Formats: sequence, C-alpha cells, structure tokens
Amino acid sequence: MSLEETATEKQTLAGWVLILLGLALVMFPIFWILSTSLKSIGEWVTYPPIFIPERLAVENYLSIFTGGALGGGFVARVPNVTKSVIDSAICSVGGTAISIIVGLLAAFGIARHRIGGEFFPIFLLSARMAPPIVAAIPLLILYSIIGLVDTHIGLIIAYACFTLPYSTWMIASFIEEIPRDLEDAAQVDGMSTLETHFKVTLPLIKGGIAATALFIFILNWSEFLLALTLTHEKVLTIPVQIKAFFTYSGQLYGPQSAFGVIAIIPLIAFSLIIQRHLVRGLTFGAIKG
Amino acid sequence: MTEIKLIKLRKEFNSLVAVNDLTLTIDDGALISLLGPSGCGKTTTLRMIAGLTSPTSGEIYFDDKLVNDLRPQERNVGLVFQDYAIFPNMNAFDNIAFGLKIRGLSKEEVKKKVLEVAELLNIKAILNVMPRKMSLSEMQSVALARTLVTNPSVLLLDEPLSNLDAALRARMRAELKRLQREIGQTVIYVTHDQLEAIAISDKIAVMNLGILHQYDTPEAIYNKPKTKFVAGFIGSPPMNFIECTFIEEDGGLLDLGVARINVSEYKDVIKRECSSAEVTLGVRPEDIRINHRRMSENSVEVRVEAYEPLGSEAVIDTELGGVLVRITAPITFTVKAGDKAYIEFDRRKIHIIDRKTERVVI
Repeated sequence: MSLEETATEKQTLAGWVLILLGLALVMFPIFWILSTSLKSIGEWVTYPPIFIPERLAVENYLSIFTGGALGGGFVARVPNVTKSVIDSAICSVGGTAISIIVGLLAAFGIARHRIGGEFFPIFLLSARMAPPIVAAIPLLILYSIIGLVDTHIGLIIAYACFTLPYSTWMIASFIEEIPRDLEDAAQVDGMSTLETHFKVTLPLIKGGIAATALFIFILNWSEFLLALTLTHEKVLTIPVQIKAFFTYSGQLYGPQSAFGVIAIIPLIAFSLIIQRHLVRGLTFGAIKG
Repeated sequence: MTEIKLIKLRKEFNSLVAVNDLTLTIDDGALISLLGPSGCGKTTTLRMIAGLTSPTSGEIYFDDKLVNDLRPQERNVGLVFQDYAIFPNMNAFDNIAFGLKIRGLSKEEVKKKVLEVAELLNIKAILNVMPRKMSLSEMQSVALARTLVTNPSVLLLDEPLSNLDAALRARMRAELKRLQREIGQTVIYVTHDQLEAIAISDKIAVMNLGILHQYDTPEAIYNKPKTKFVAGFIGSPPMNFIECTFIEEDGGLLDLGVARINVSEYKDVIKRECSSAEVTLGVRPEDIRINHRRMSENSVEVRVEAYEPLGSEAVIDTELGGVLVRITAPITFTVKAGDKAYIEFDRRKIHIIDRKTERVVI
C-alpha cells in the first residue's frame, strides 16, 4: 500500500467520523422525542435520564387520538389531536399549493421578462425581513373586518402570502439555470411564449419545484405565530396545539412527544416521495450542462 | 430561397445602441457572415431577423415582404444556437422531431423526415442517445438536424462551431458548406472568427459597436478594407499601423519620424481624399520585405525585438521609431533579437488611412 493510499483512507475515515458526528447532532433530538413518546409517566423526567424505555408505552399515542385520560400515578385529560392534524394538513397543503402556483407565475415574469425591474426580487424578499409579528397584528384586524379570523381559508391566504417571496425566489433561480435559448429555439419552431415557459422550461425544473414545495411545506407545517394570532378554536394547527399540552396537572411529556412524532411523519414521508427530485433540485447548479 | 433586405435596422437597449441603422441585402441562396468582436451587434441582428428580438426601428424584408410584425414561426427561419439549445430531457430523435410535432405532422411523416435528415448529417446511430451522453460535435449535428428538418427558407447560425476544437471545427466548416450547396438555403452565419468567415462565406459583413463597416466578398474585405477597423480586424498576424505625416516634397512623402518613404503615385488621391496631412500607414506583415542589408534607397532601418519561427514562415517583431512592426518572412531568413535589419514596404500593397475619419483611402 502506497503512502498516498493511506492518506486517502485516513481522509475517508475522518470524513465518516465527521458525518457521524453531524448525524448524531441532528438525530439526537429526534431520537429523544421518539424515546420519550414511548415512555410511561414515571420515566418522563427521571434522573439519570432513561434512554430506552423499559416498556413501550403505546398509550401515549392512543390517548392523543382518543382524547382519553392517561392513568398511572395521576389522571390527566389528554387533548384530542385528530382535528389539529387535519387542520394543519388543510392549511399547509393549501398555503403551499397557492404559494407554488403563484410563485411559479411570478418567477417566470421575473426570470424571463424582468417584470418589475431589477430591484423587484429584492423588494419582494424584503417583505420577509421584518419580524412576522409586525404583520400578524394588522392582519388580525383586517381579518376581523372581513370575517376571515379563525377560518381555514384565512390561514391558507396568510401562509401563501408569507411564503410567496421564498417560492418566487427559489423557482426564479431554478428557471434562470435553464438556458433561455431552449425557449427561443422552441419559439422559432412555432410555440408561443407562454407555451415555451410551460412546455419547455417547466418540465426541466420539476426537481426544483419539488424542492421548493417541500421547503414551503415545512415552513407552513411548523408555523406557529400566525396560527396563534389568526385562529383560536374552529381552526387549530399542530404547533398551536402542541403548546396546549401544559395542563393543570403538569406537562404531559409522553403524549406531547407522541404528537411531535406524528407531526414529523408527513415531512419524512413527503421527503421520501420526492427524494429523487429533491437531490436534483438541491444540487441543481452542480449538474447543469 | 429567400432574399433578405435590412433597411436602417436599429436596436437600442436602454442607452446602448446595439445595432446602428444597419442596411444590408442578402442575396437569395447566399451564405454570408456577420463578423465582428463580441458585443458588435451581430447576434442581436440575427435575433431580429429570426423574430426573437423586435427592432427599435427599421425594416426587415423577406423577398420584398415586410416581416417586422411576423412571429418567428411565421417567418420560416431556422436558428442554430451557439450552445445548441438541445432539450436535455429528450433524446436525439425527439429533439429533431420537436418542430415537426409542433407543426402537427403525422407520426409516419415525422419519422420519415427525421430519418432523412439524420442520414444527411450522419447521425442515424445516435438517434436514441440522450444529450448528456453526446459529444459536442454530436450535439452540434443534432442542433443542425433539428433546424434543417423543418426545411426553413433562411438558416441562421449563431457561432455554431465556437465550442468545438480546431480540427473538428475545420471538418464541420467543410460539412456546413457542403450542406449549404446541397440545400441551397440563404444562410446567415454569425462568427467572431475571421478565418471561419473567410473560409465559408460568399460575402462578409464586418461589424463593430453596432455599425456595419464593410459588406463585401472575402477577397475585397482582405485586400481592400474600407475602414481602419476592418483593416486591423482581418488578417493574422494583424496589419501594422504606423502614424505618419504626408508631405508634398519629392512628389509626395510619408514622414514616419525616423524615416521617409516615397508615395508619389498616391499623391493625388491623398490630397483629394484625406481631411488633413495626419495619416496612418497600414501594411500587412506579409507585404514587408526584410533583409540584413539595405536593399534600396527606400529601405528603413529597424531593430529586431523577437523572432518566432512558425514552420513554413517566421514572424519577426521589429521596432521602428518606437512603433512595433510585425513582419512575416520566409523561414530561411533568420535573425535574433537585438539585431539590426532593413525593411521595405511593398508600395503596391500599402494602405493609407485618414487618421481623423479612420477611412482607408488607398
């Protein structure tokens, strides 16, 4: 074995150690939430901490969907989360869909036609530089006037608006990666400008749109402040309800963690489904032409 | 199969004039080049002819029909892009078939035409290959096939060979010329490579900064340039320019500072055409003779700065009164840097340029 090979092997090893360290850092909270979600009441806050629960306390999961009581040393009512999962799904999917569709149209306008001038994209993004609370309160007042407070459609509109700058920016950058010549070539062959956008460029940025959609979905799914401000009881999203696990009889760490695990599942599922596109979308610049 | 006429064609991007009142007639079935450095407006001109960019003012005629307001597909033009613009998500066949499908041809017709053009360009073997697995020359052929298959009456080529290496470029150049002769389309070829333009074109339009400097046959562009820009842009190594003053002594002299040369045969033309006595002498490297000894009373002494043998000939850099004068000489003539030598201009082939207007008067 030559010296060079040894050096390479050492580098590979060092690389793996770094990757494992990084993974441990990212994965530990998820492991901890998973572990806690399966702990019985007595194990939630013990010291020294328990990493692997003795008995898998499935009742944590059952209780949050039945809204039942949790027995043991004390009895506490566990909130029923079924509705909040559905509400979150409606608002996040709705908000993401509108944000992506409108963002796509805006992105074509910006990337291909320079609509709004040179500084428009920056201007668009600057809308997101202020803390969200600055917009949330006026939005609540507006919503109460037109009757959108505590409605799905109200939250969907808010989510679409708040994520629109991101989706526009991201999709515009993906469009700019596709050479304009492709559209021109199709135009010489007889396509209209609109057709060249949707039949030539759009199929080539599918990966980018998938990546953007995932990003926007995560933002919406985990959004707390707007949901807290604009809804109270008819609509209740997961992040708002997770907070509701502080009860008079203490904090219900087990069911709360179980709820947390449930909240992560759609994100993981979504990522897996679009994984193929995601890798392409997130490394777009690297594999261009 | 189409004669193209551009009349006072102009394109402005904000304050920049990309194409400045260009008037040009391209004969039916001719192959012409738009030649110039990057940013000279040649691609913009091409895009205006294709209909992808609308002119600020001016008119474009195809066979006496005004096409300004026609969309690209209504002009029946074919455009090959510098970076080929092949759809990366389609194989060669689908790329070539793209335009035919849009035009609504039946499946059999599409197949027949694609195979025909693939035969013509020798790419039948790669019809199932995806673009990312093609070589540059294959991509180039596919791009050309995709354009030819729709049988456009005008073929526009935007630096189609610039991505290829030198050997391949020479081969594709010959191939293009053969194709053009076979198909007989009007071809407009955009390039910044003067050798390519000279080799391929019936006529060359030399442009700089949006202005057409000369539109002529390759021979005329080389031998009778009309402006200093054309004189300097065409030819390799480029033409030497030496600033001098015209004096009416001994029947007419050019004063180079360190030497004077007799130009009595051009005296009348210089007096008539030049705005002042301040002129520039232009002379190509191959039109200068060099020797170790004085050849005649017109010989001028120079100092050799560099000697570069290039196989069949040598390029010699010399210094004449602070000005670099480049000479090509037979390889049998050898000098070394620092040597003294004598040069003599071939007076039949010199050019005299009005320094103020940059017009070549001789």
